[in-house]
Amino acid sequence: MKKLLLVTALVLLVSFTAFSAEAGKLTVWCSEKQVEILQELGNDFESMYGIPVDVQEMGFDQIKTKFLQAAPVGEGPDIIVTAHDQIGELVASGLLLPMDFLTLSDRKEFTDTAISAFEYNGKLYGLPYGVEAIALFYNKDYLEEAPETFEELAEIAAEYTDDEFRGFVYDAPNFYFTAPLLFANGGYVFKQTEQGLDPTDIGLNNEGAVKGAEFLKSLYDMGVMKPGDNSQIADGLFKDGMAMAIINGPWAIEGYKQAGIDYGIAPIPSIDGNECRPFTGVQGFLINSQSPNTLFAIDFLANFINTTDVMYRLFQADPRPPARLDVAEMAKDNADVYAFFESALTGIPMPNIPAMAAVWGAMGDALNQIVNGELEPKEALDQAVAKIEAALNE
Amino acid sequence: MKILGKILLWFALAILNALLTWAAIVLFTNDSVELGIIMIIIIFFIDFAVINPKGYPYRYTIPALSLLLILTVYPIFYTLKIAFTNYGTGHLFTRNQVVEQLMNTYVTDEDSQPYSYSVYVHMEDFAPTEEFVLIFTDGEKSFLAEKPKIISVDRDGNTTRSIAEYKEITNGNVVIGDGQYEIVYSIQNEDEIMAVEGNVNGNSHTYQYFFSFDDPDTLSNQRMFMSNIYLKYLDSAELTNPERSLVRFGRVYGFRKLVDARKKYRIDREMVEENGKILERTVLINNSTGIKLQEEDGTFFEITPQGQKIDVGGYRGYVGLRNFEKMFTDSRFTGPFIKILIWTFVWAILSVLFSFVIGLGFALMLNDSKFKGRNIYRTLLLIPWAVPAFISVLVWRNGFFNETYGIINKIILGQWFGMDAVRWLGDAFMAKVSVLIVNIWLGFPYMMMVCLGALQSIPGNLYEAASIDGATKIRKFSSITMPLLMTSVAPLLIGSFAFNFNNFTNIYLLTRGGPAMSDSLTNAGSTDILISYTYKLAFQSERGQDFGYASAIALFIFIIVAGISFFQFKFAGTFEEVNRG
Repeated sequence: MKKLLLVTALVLLVSFTAFSAEAGKLTVWCSEKQVEILQELGNDFESMYGIPVDVQEMGFDQIKTKFLQAAPVGEGPDIIVTAHDQIGELVASGLLLPMDFLTLSDRKEFTDTAISAFEYNGKLYGLPYGVEAIALFYNKDYLEEAPETFEELAEIAAEYTDDEFRGFVYDAPNFYFTAPLLFANGGYVFKQTEQGLDPTDIGLNNEGAVKGAEFLKSLYDMGVMKPGDNSQIADGLFKDGMAMAIINGPWAIEGYKQAGIDYGIAPIPSIDGNECRPFTGVQGFLINSQSPNTLFAIDFLANFINTTDVMYRLFQADPRPPARLDVAEMAKDNADVYAFFESALTGIPMPNIPAMAAVWGAMGDALNQIVNGELEPKEALDQAVAKIEAALNE
Repeated sequence: MKILGKILLWFALAILNALLTWAAIVLFTNDSVELGIIMIIIIFFIDFAVINPKGYPYRYTIPALSLLLILTVYPIFYTLKIAFTNYGTGHLFTRNQVVEQLMNTYVTDEDSQPYSYSVYVHMEDFAPTEEFVLIFTDGEKSFLAEKPKIISVDRDGNTTRSIAEYKEITNGNVVIGDGQYEIVYSIQNEDEIMAVEGNVNGNSHTYQYFFSFDDPDTLSNQRMFMSNIYLKYLDSAELTNPERSLVRFGRVYGFRKLVDARKKYRIDREMVEENGKILERTVLINNSTGIKLQEEDGTFFEITPQGQKIDVGGYRGYVGLRNFEKMFTDSRFTGPFIKILIWTFVWAILSVLFSFVIGLGFALMLNDSKFKGRNIYRTLLLIPWAVPAFISVLVWRNGFFNETYGIINKIILGQWFGMDAVRWLGDAFMAKVSVLIVNIWLGFPYMMMVCLGALQSIPGNLYEAASIDGATKIRKFSSITMPLLMTSVAPLLIGSFAFNFNNFTNIYLLTRGGPAMSDSLTNAGSTDILISYTYKLAFQSERGQDFGYASAIALFIFIIVAGISFFQFKFAGTFEEVNRG
């Protein structure tokens, strides 16, 4: 019984000292695949400046949540590696340091999408290293070449779809995957203005977006898409060789390889001849504004991480499309990755303002209603936008 | 032996006291006053229970009571505290922290040139000391700064602010206060400074050229400079000159170059009237525009000369009843609230009712000694309980209820009966049926186990006596089994009700609250129960996370659940009285 208490007391004590930020020591939180490289660089950093670097591994999805808890009480790490769509909330809480050390010419070394993704209120808050966006996978056993237009794809798919086999399948009720269809004819989430994204101007029920949603509905009416399709089912069908084409992201490559599928990767086909631009997500390094070591963190990012060589090594450790143009050029012989790099290049950065949180739920509901035939596309989208507006005007 | 035991006990107690006191002190210094108080209560309680003979019976409640205080009482108190604040995204820091952050904001003009700097260190016995001067230059003019004085340090003793004065070098001489410095130039190159002769109040020092980032020849000294000098004196140094701008290290060049900078804000005091009282308050003024920062809703706003309002930092503060007001006036909360409340009751009651009835049925069956292979059946029936819900709910979602590929629609209804597909998860009513089915599937084994235990504790002679009196099976069940069963099971049913009332996991795994209510402007779904809806409101709202508002809603739900439980306990209590009578 006393042991238990002792343990409790110790756990309590330890939890108050575990991650505490220390002056004169850099702490980095990153996910598994970057640990080794960053620790090596950290050792170089230490031998240069005598400042030790401690690289701590953490699940990618946990980094932001834990950072949000630790940083305000001065116990956060100095540098975190995370996705760009998280930054709005972190900046709004005053937890991030702008990357003023990246000059305009430094920024030109990255894809425009990667830089604009990390911009918030006109300032850059992240050093990007990887980008990702969705594209069309097709099974080469059934399709020699990916169709260039969605209309063509739908036609071929309708021909082959029966009770068991599917011509085309994807997680349609998920706004992340269906966004390209809505964007093709002029839909947008928030209007891009010179001051950044304008959350009062929502373009998810404009003519273009409705056109895209109607196209989605026509896929269901044709029987190409079926109610009940979701990510697990779509992925399972494609892995079993029971689907001809699927929209998915670079994270799926490994699984399809292991399943022995002879796949090809192509851009998402166009609708009405208009490009279907996907959402682009960007991963990067962020600096904690509450860190007592900001100048060291800046030096670590500017002179140790942001070099062609290191960025290429990061790419090799975790082959996701690189954000730096010269590294992408070096990665060209990895055809899969390069295909996704091109897809990300054309993509629209996922909005990084906190208002986006209201969009996911409302749009997911609307797409479900469209897919289930509960509401007409126009009605469903109008309602979704009304919901988003109500949430934002609260 | 007895004495040894006692000594050991006292020793353990002393160590425990020391540890807990230390914990309390750490908690107090970390601003966790409430948790610190709880620690102290625990210390007193443990000492009382161990030392005082009267406290002896309480010894065995120490772990339970301590954990109760830490894990239950404290969270409730903390939630209550948060509910009256605006804690959440954009309001994470205290006002003092935000003022301090703003006071540490510097601006550097875009066209200002950075300074390269070199460090000159006083050597003693050929080893560098911590005595040094800095010389920095913009290419035309050169300046000398003295070793900065440390003004403030943090808890760990790290420098958080240091200040030094700098002056331009004219004709190889600099005078700063009492210090006189003479520059020693190289004979070969007149621009190269070899050393600095310093004289402060008669103490003279020679500072030798030690390190510069622009000189690769000094690279061997870099490490020593960084860890001995830079970290302690320069990282947060402000170099000042009465006639020129402030010079420091900035975000653009890091520690490799110095830059001109100026403080963005200055602090001022102002009398304000608040609730009839006159208070002195710190206000911040923008140095370049001279405009005072406005404070509204726990946020500092900068007003640009064009009249634009810019959020420059929010802080955490007491907002009174505002979160509660917001809760009752927020149409997103009140609109679907009644619907969700009713469904939450229906969900909790039906979940408990059906899983109890089914569990009881199986228990009666398994309790029958004539029934063969009881153990095998019992093990099989426990499976839904033993498999983690995370897995079985996914199987239900995709394997059974999927509209196109689920077994129910595809094989049972489609192939065997030739019926149309049922929209299990897409239709508001069917989705409710689906979540109930899954929840009952997950819940009945527990009820079965509970009932089985209770049934076995009913003495067999009661049934014998009833048989002699000629009672029917139904009569035996209603007059003996049920009342005796209920005495031990009723409290568990209440517990189960309270658990299902807040059964976030199953709802979230199966439907995420969906499908959407098609007639409301909220993200409320048809299967959302209060707790899952709270989660959506609090953590998926437009401003990121709003802990204050979520706490207010959580408290409201807590009151509802506590009230219901209270009445249920009353109800269960009357049940017991009937039995005794």
